[in-house]
Amino acid sequence: MDYLIHIAILIGIYSILALSLNLIVGYTGLLSITQAAFYGIGAYATAILLTSFGMNFFLSIIVGMIITGVVSLAIGYVLSKFDGDYFALGSFGFNIIVYSIFLNWQSLTRGPLGIPGISKPSLFGLDFGENIIFLILVIIFALAVYFTSRFITNSSFGRVLKAIREDEKAIEVFGYNTLFFKLTIFAIGAMIASIAGALFASYITYVDPTSFALSESIFILAIIILGGLANNKGVVLGVVCLVILPEALRFVGFPSDIAAQMRQVTYGLILILLMLYRPQGLLGEYKL
Amino acid sequence: MEIVPQLIVNSIIAGAIYSMVALGFNLIYGTAKFFDLGYGVLTAIGGYAVFYFSSTLGFNIYISIILGVLVAGFVGYLIEKIVYKKLRARKASSMVFMVAALGVMTTLQAIIAILFSSQFQVFPATINTQTFQIFGGVITGVQLIALTLSIVIMFVLVLTLRFTKFGKAIKAVSDDAEVAKMVGINTDGIISKVFFIGSCIAGLAGVLVGFDTGIEPIMGFSLLLKGVIASIIGGVGNIYGGVLGSFLLGFIENFGIWKISGEWKDAISFSVLIVFLLFRPNGILGKKQ
Repeated sequence: MDYLIHIAILIGIYSILALSLNLIVGYTGLLSITQAAFYGIGAYATAILLTSFGMNFFLSIIVGMIITGVVSLAIGYVLSKFDGDYFALGSFGFNIIVYSIFLNWQSLTRGPLGIPGISKPSLFGLDFGENIIFLILVIIFALAVYFTSRFITNSSFGRVLKAIREDEKAIEVFGYNTLFFKLTIFAIGAMIASIAGALFASYITYVDPTSFALSESIFILAIIILGGLANNKGVVLGVVCLVILPEALRFVGFPSDIAAQMRQVTYGLILILLMLYRPQGLLGEYKL
Repeated sequence: MEIVPQLIVNSIIAGAIYSMVALGFNLIYGTAKFFDLGYGVLTAIGGYAVFYFSSTLGFNIYISIILGVLVAGFVGYLIEKIVYKKLRARKASSMVFMVAALGVMTTLQAIIAILFSSQFQVFPATINTQTFQIFGGVITGVQLIALTLSIVIMFVLVLTLRFTKFGKAIKAVSDDAEVAKMVGINTDGIISKVFFIGSCIAGLAGVLVGFDTGIEPIMGFSLLLKGVIASIIGGVGNIYGGVLGSFLLGFIENFGIWKISGEWKDAISFSVLIVFLLFRPNGILGKKQ
């Protein structure tokens, strides 16, 4: 049972991440491979604020979101100068730079040692230490993100995003400032990812740089491409598939080191096969 | 051993290795027209193939090297046949190519780790253990070979592209694949050969890195990034540009970590890339688009 709750919590956290990236890649058509960087900033913000300053978890989420928002605006502004392949490559680069900062800014992040002993959230005397209660918290956040995302994409703002994805030049001719829209959605996506980071840090009670490497960004990208770009239900389906699949591999009896590599093989192959045979994913509404 | 001459030597060695990766990457980019992010893993395949032939099967080290390079070339050729050729036939967008290449990279890297463990390993035999002194800097025999080979490969490539029929066909395909096809050039055949040659070069680079330091499954990734960055700052698709960019990157990295710690190397190279993309997106020698 504990194990099932663990899986459910992971699905919740990855759903938040995947929904956030879907706003950027699926709805706006910006192939960003740097979501793990924002996930990491959120996680480290919570880790540092909780362990060094004893701040409340929920307050730390807000602080983390503000920091991520500022960083993502700066990164997004630089990336807005590029398009297509170069955008992807540049975003790639930012993931590596942020990862190096986690690894090397030892006085702040303790480098490869990571930050242990992050406490579980509590609010008004209500303690979220039990996994089942933590799961409820994660579900609340995931639902909030899901409906926020749906609200954004159904609004007139969301329609402009889709228009940018289909034909940026055309929508510019109509007088829309596309830079504003792209930056806003990039920052919103990043801030949502930072919430997932905060939940992850508090759940695992430990953060270290390896959780936020480039391969994690590729994993999140694989999730949304499998589930379906620009389709939130599809994205959640993608999360369920890709979180459960490697766990199943573990049950087949692979040792944990091999199982970790098998996970990589699985999602690498999924990416290749999808690109070859079904580039829109399971339920996607947009093809890369 | 003085610090500045040693830094210069290190920069040149790094530049030589990067330039091999950049040459192959540029060659592939020129004909197939996409960022082949899966290219880096071929260096690891070359390195591990040599490791397998020499350590597990006990072959002579020189035979192992030749086989290893060919294995890398063959794997690159197969990937092109199985994945990229089909995508090209479907006229997939460059983003689809890039995501597929990410998949190739992730899969092959993990397969290597499953077969050989993700530990850092060294070859059982070395090829040259001499060290030389140049202006107060120390250079090993392996590094000297790497430097020589990178220069030789560059000249061979330049001469091939300029003076052979095959080279001219490559140029035709990279200028305009459609027109090349119309005048009777077998574009798919040319692209396959380019993948084979490019992958052999990657394999060789991986083998040399293996002799210089050692091999690990993820080695290809950082080599690829350096190769890509070098290509872009030199000018994508331009052979001289790739080499120039590689040596420039080698110098920036090695002198960059003179004052700050070595772990920042990757961050430094990416900062260089982003500065170039912002202010000179076509690179130093790149043509205006």
